[in-house]
Amino acid sequence: MKYFLNQISREWKFLLAQKYIVVLLLCTLLTSGFAVFSGLQEVKQQNTTIERLIEADRLDREQAQTKHANVGSLAYYSFHLTYEPPSDLAFAALGERDIYPWKHRIKMLALEGQIYESDAQNAELAKSGKIDFVFVVSALSPLLIILLFHDLFAHERSNGRFDLLVTAARSTFSLWGIRSLVRFLSVLLCLMIPFWIGAWYSGVGVGISLVVTLLCVVYLAFWMALSLWLGNKGSNAPSIASRLIGFWVVVAFIIPILGDLAIKHQVESPKGGDIVLTLREAVNDAWDIPKRVTMRAFVATHPQWKEHVAVERMFEWKWYYAFQQVGDQKAGRLSRAYQDAAQTKYDYAGYVSWLSPPLLLQRKLTRLANTDAIAAFNYEKGIRQFHSELRAFYYPWLFTSEKFTKEALVDLPVFQPVSQRALKKSSQLIENKVTK
Amino acid sequence: MKTQNKIAIEADSLSIKINNDDIVKDLSFQVKSGEIYALLGGNGAGKSTTLKTLLGFHTPTSGKAIVDGHIVSDHLAAVRNKMAYLPEAAALYPHLTARENVQYFLSLADIEKSDSEINTAFDCVALQSSAWERQMQNYSKGMRQKTAIALALLREAPIFLLDEPTSGLDPVAIDEFNQLLCELASTGATIFMVTHDVYGACQVADRIGLLRNGELVGEFSSSEGSQINTEEVHAAFAQGLPA
Repeated sequence: MKYFLNQISREWKFLLAQKYIVVLLLCTLLTSGFAVFSGLQEVKQQNTTIERLIEADRLDREQAQTKHANVGSLAYYSFHLTYEPPSDLAFAALGERDIYPWKHRIKMLALEGQIYESDAQNAELAKSGKIDFVFVVSALSPLLIILLFHDLFAHERSNGRFDLLVTAARSTFSLWGIRSLVRFLSVLLCLMIPFWIGAWYSGVGVGISLVVTLLCVVYLAFWMALSLWLGNKGSNAPSIASRLIGFWVVVAFIIPILGDLAIKHQVESPKGGDIVLTLREAVNDAWDIPKRVTMRAFVATHPQWKEHVAVERMFEWKWYYAFQQVGDQKAGRLSRAYQDAAQTKYDYAGYVSWLSPPLLLQRKLTRLANTDAIAAFNYEKGIRQFHSELRAFYYPWLFTSEKFTKEALVDLPVFQPVSQRALKKSSQLIENKVTK
Repeated sequence: MKTQNKIAIEADSLSIKINNDDIVKDLSFQVKSGEIYALLGGNGAGKSTTLKTLLGFHTPTSGKAIVDGHIVSDHLAAVRNKMAYLPEAAALYPHLTARENVQYFLSLADIEKSDSEINTAFDCVALQSSAWERQMQNYSKGMRQKTAIALALLREAPIFLLDEPTSGLDPVAIDEFNQLLCELASTGATIFMVTHDVYGACQVADRIGLLRNGELVGEFSSSEGSQINTEEVHAAFAQGLPA
């Protein structure tokens, strides 16, 4: 052990005596620190926005509830905030939260339009862009590893020290092994220290932090092994570096971009705009077609209200909400195609990621942080479920002659983020087990 | 010179091919403990390849390289522990001082030496004390060579392998170096050097092997109390040079 520590101490001092490496490591520490800091800021901003919106939403709904006694008007003017707060780990992997929406204010109107109104693009493949921790580790750190390891042997060869070093060292491990280990640990610490601080600050569990650390260790070890393997085969440092950088460009950029293009080409998907347009057309047309046509379509999916669909006046709220529902039904096919395509794209991107270690790491970490496309799909499912609950709450008041009173609003559904629902579910399960 | 009967280094019908080229052909020689042996030859004669085979960097195509009774390729670590190697261009780390370099290389071999022992080694090789704590980037070749010799001395290896040790040194430094080699041999160390410096080799070596196109074409020995005849070696060496 003492021997091992002496060897580590020797290489550590040796590393610190090389200014360019120290500068490189400091840059890494600063970049990782900046990424973690900006991630924390982003998460804080998202949480602040959610807090502000929750309060505004409450006031807004209270105002609507005071102002509107009629259930139809009340449903029409009441907004409901839906949102998915960032997880504790989101600061490290912001993921798809800037592509897929994580907050919506929805009404009792047709839902599909409300969901896809904000759809601007639908990129399933993570590409470089955000300077978050995952980007620093997956895209930038390989460069650093290449810089530190490509010429581990070639530098000594070109300076005529290789033979002397090899003959002087007690064993191969005491020289190259310890030197590589010290460099590797230095890079790892410079990358991970800001993360560990950020994780502690955000309240990320020790288990999750360990999993992230393990994934990063495996990933960096892959790049180190590759650099050492190629470095040991060649004697010309620039040629080794260019081969490694070429490989890095291919796996970090070319494969994800080509994969993205191929998937887009392969998987046909309607645009969010098409869904919105279909829905609007259906809703607008409803004003011009006989009401019984609308109500017949409504009853087809909601037979429980078939006794209550007679519309006698020019305007009735039940007809209005029925054609919103029918609008959703008409846009449903496109919407399902859109969801299926998004899921297929995500799955295909998963296959592509096996060819691109940076992409694979991004996927693993964004999954852990619940900031990937899957999280977005789950949030969307959560909105749909909540909207169904809203309809289930309002329909009896709209379709029957029962007098609506404000007291009934205590049963008005309140949106719960998917992550909190999952938490609630698991604590209920635990509670049940304990009670049993 | 205190030679013993024990064989420190032996090449036994050694042949080495690199990229299908026969660099060394059926080379055989023996170096006794405490002896200074110079392998002399022109450029491309196979001197450095022979040296690197003794260090374990090349595997013989046939024959054996034996150091301290061990076949080099079979007992590499043990063999290397017995040897101190002095490369032609003693390129130590320029950003470290002479002392730091020596400490670093000793630590690689897991050898601990006190500052005073290092100072003694520096004194022994006549490295000015003002240079000991200076970064080596401004050292002359002679100073770098002295530092490398100090390192070799501190390793206390019984066998020294030197690759063109006087190449690039000024005459005064060469004299100092040769004197140092003789002193080292007088302590019982075995010294094997490859060189193309006929005069330097004759001055210090107990025996000289003349290598030409990978083959040993002659051996010259010093007699009791007198050096190897320089003219004789030079004539044999020149025979192989292009006219």
